[in-house]
Amino acid sequence: MSLLTLPPPDLSRYSILIIEDFEGMRAILRDILLRASATRISMAANAGNAISLLEKQRFDIVLCDLHLGQGKNGQDILEEARHRALLPPHAVWLMVSAEKAAEMVTGTVESRPDDYLIKPVTETMLFSRLTRQLEKKKALAPIELALREHEYLKALRLVDAQLEGNNPHAWDLKRLKAELALQSGEHDMAKAIYEEALTLRNLPWARLGLAKLHFNEGRYADASRELKQITDGNRAYLEAHDLLAHTLEKLGDQDAAQEVIQRALATSPRAPMRQLHLGEVAQRRGEFDTAQVAFQNSIELARNTPLKSPQAYLALSQVQLTLNQTDAALNTLSRLSSDMHGNTAARLLAEAMQIPVRLHRGEKDLAQSLARKLAAELKTGAQHLPPDAVFSLAAPLLELGETSTAAALLGSLISNHHEYPEYLQRAQLIYTQAGLENEGRELVQGAARVATDIMNRGVKLSREGKLGEAIELTREARAKMPNNARLLLNHAFLLIAWMERHGRDPALNKEARNCIELARKLKPEDKRAGELLTRLELISNDFELPA
Amino acid sequence: MPAEQPKLDLSTFLLSSIHDMKNSLGMMASYLEDALAQAPAEASGETSNTPARQKTAQALYEAQRVNNHLIQLLALYKIDQSFYPFDPREQSLADLAREALARALPLAESKGIQLDCDCPENLFGWFDYELVFGVIVQALHNALHYTRSKVFLKASASETGVVIQIEDDGPGFPEFLLEQGNAAQRGISFETGSTGLGLYFANVVASLHQAGGRAGHIVLENGHNPGSQPDSQLGGGCFSLHLP
Repeated sequence: MSLLTLPPPDLSRYSILIIEDFEGMRAILRDILLRASATRISMAANAGNAISLLEKQRFDIVLCDLHLGQGKNGQDILEEARHRALLPPHAVWLMVSAEKAAEMVTGTVESRPDDYLIKPVTETMLFSRLTRQLEKKKALAPIELALREHEYLKALRLVDAQLEGNNPHAWDLKRLKAELALQSGEHDMAKAIYEEALTLRNLPWARLGLAKLHFNEGRYADASRELKQITDGNRAYLEAHDLLAHTLEKLGDQDAAQEVIQRALATSPRAPMRQLHLGEVAQRRGEFDTAQVAFQNSIELARNTPLKSPQAYLALSQVQLTLNQTDAALNTLSRLSSDMHGNTAARLLAEAMQIPVRLHRGEKDLAQSLARKLAAELKTGAQHLPPDAVFSLAAPLLELGETSTAAALLGSLISNHHEYPEYLQRAQLIYTQAGLENEGRELVQGAARVATDIMNRGVKLSREGKLGEAIELTREARAKMPNNARLLLNHAFLLIAWMERHGRDPALNKEARNCIELARKLKPEDKRAGELLTRLELISNDFELPA
Repeated sequence: MPAEQPKLDLSTFLLSSIHDMKNSLGMMASYLEDALAQAPAEASGETSNTPARQKTAQALYEAQRVNNHLIQLLALYKIDQSFYPFDPREQSLADLAREALARALPLAESKGIQLDCDCPENLFGWFDYELVFGVIVQALHNALHYTRSKVFLKASASETGVVIQIEDDGPGFPEFLLEQGNAAQRGISFETGSTGLGLYFANVVASLHQAGGRAGHIVLENGHNPGSQPDSQLGGGCFSLHLP
C-alpha cells in the first residue's frame, strides 16, 4: 500500500510556542507535537502571555489560534512579533483558525502568516505543513535577514538566485520579489511580475499589486478599474477595498469612498485604521454622527495596540466640537493625555486643542491663559503637531491676538509642506478671514519661497560639484524643516553622492538612511525613497551585483 | 455600540449555530483521532483491529462527515454572499493527497478496505487548498461507503492542468447520478435520501477555478462502462476533479 506517508518531522531541536485560548485544543496540539519528539513546548492562553514569552525566547515554530476571545487576536500578535523582530528569521508561524479568514490571504509579507491551518487540525496536516514550511523558511532566512536590514537589493538578488533552480515555491518567491521591487522603487520589475501572474490566472494579489503601482504613480482611474475588478466579485479582499477607498477619494468621489469602507467594515469591523479612515471620509462629507462613532471605535480598538496614535482622538474632538458637544470634546482630549501618557507631543496636542474648545464655549479667559502658557512650547514643538491640529489652532490663536504663535505654527507647516498648494491656500484663507490678508501673504509666500530657494541652491551647488557645501546647506535646512519630504530626499541624495565619490562613512550612511525612512513615512508613494535606498545599499555592498 | 431593540433574525441564529456545531464536531474529531493515534502504542506492537478501535473509527468518520458538510455549507454560503476569501496558490498535490488520505484512513482500516494512491511528489497545481481538500475528502468518504474492497486516489497532470481521480471497485454510481452529475443545479432527492450537497459543492468548487478561459469541472463515470474516459483500474465508480 503506497499512501505517500512521510515520516514525522523530528522536532526535538526546535522551540515551539502554542498560542491558543482553549485548553482542550492546546492539549491536542501539544500531544501531536510530542509524537514528533518535540521537547521544548511553551504554551500561552492569551495575547499578553504570548507576547511576554516571545520577548523572552526565540521560538522556531509558533502555532497560533487566530481567534483568542476578547482583546488582541492572532493576527495582532503576529504583526507585533514581526514589527518588533521578536522572531528569528527562520521562524515558522502557522495560523490556526476555525475557518478561512480574509486576513490570512491578503496583506504584505510582513503581515501574512507562513501558512494557515483550518480546524480540525490533524497530525498529518500539521506534520506536512511544518515539514514544508521549516524547509522553506530555512531557505528564505537570508532573504528575511536582508529585509530586516532594509537591504532590498540584496534581498532581490537572493530571491533571484533561488528562482534559478526549479523551485517548488516559485510563485511565493515571485510575489515576494514584486513586493521587494516596489520597496526599492523598481516599479517596472514589479509590474512585469504582476502582469505575468495575471496572464496565468485572475490572482487577486497580483491585481492588487498592479493597482498599487497605478496609485503610486498617480494613475487613479487605472487603479480604480483594477481594484473594482477585485472588489466587485468579492468583499473578502479587504486590502483592495481600503486602497479603492483612497483611490476614489483622489478621484473626488467621497460618497463612493465611504461606501467602500463601510462594505469592508461589514466584513471585518475590528480594524482601527479602517474605522479611522471611515471617520475621516464621513467628516469630510459632513456626516458627523457617522464620523463620531467611527473615531470612537478606532480609539477603542487601537487602545492596547501599537496602532494607537493621537490622530483618532484629535479627529474625534474636532467632530465633537462641530457638533457643539464641548464637554465631550474636552473629555476626548483628556483621554488622549491619559491614554498616551509619556508622549510629550500627545500631551502638548491635548492641551493646545483645548484652546478652540474653550473659545467655542465662550471661555475666552481660559483660552487666553492656555494660549499664553503654551506659547513657547508650541513655537518650538510646532513640527510635532499634525497639520489638522495646526489648521484648527491657527484661527483661534489669531482671534486671541496670539499672532506670533499662529505664525510660528503655520510657518513651520508651510516650510515642511511647501509643495502642497492646498496647504498654502488653507493657511492664506485663515489669515484672510482674520482680516490679516497681507500678513498672511507675507508669511505663507515667504516660508514657501525660503524652502524652494534652499532646494534650488542645493541642486545648483551639487551641479557645480560643491557637494560639501550643498550638504551643509540641506543639513542646516533640515533642522528647520524636519518633515519636508523633498528636502529629506535631497539631503539623502547629496550624502549618497558624497559617499559614492569618497567612500562609505558610517555616520553619513546612518544620516542618509534616517532621512529616506522618514521621507518614506511622510510620502509613501514616492518611489525616489526606494531608489535612494538601493543606491545607499550599493555603496556598502558586500555582494555581487545583479547583471 | 449597543443595538436598539434586537430584531429576531433566524438566519443569524442558523449561521452561528452551524459555526458552533462545526467547531464542536471538529473538536470531537480531534479527540477521536488523538485516541486512535495513541491506541496502537498501547496495543503492544500488535496492530490489531479491535472492536473498540473499529467503533472509534466509525465515530470519527461520522463526526468528520457532518463536520465536512457544515464546512461545505458555510463555504457555499460565503461564496454565495461573495465573501469567501478564494485564494488559489500553486501547491503540491502530494501534500493534498497525503492529508486527504490521512482523513480517510481510520475508516478504511476499520472496514478492511485497501486504500492506494498514485501521485508524483513533484506535481503542483493551482488551487484553493481548503475547497479542493473538502471535495477530495468527500469523494473518498463516498468511495469508502460504496466500494467492495479497494479505493484508489490518483493525481496526474493533464493537458490543461491537473486531474484528481478517486475510484473504487463497487457497483458504481447509479444511473441518475451519472446523468445529473455534471448538472450543478441538482436539487435534493428525497427518494435516495441524498441531499446532493456534496456534488453541488464539488461543482461550485470546480467552476471557481479558472485559467486561460477554462473552468474546472467534475466527471462521474463508471469504470465498467465501455469507453470510459478515465483510465479506470478498479471498475467501480470513478470521480474526477479537473482543475485548469
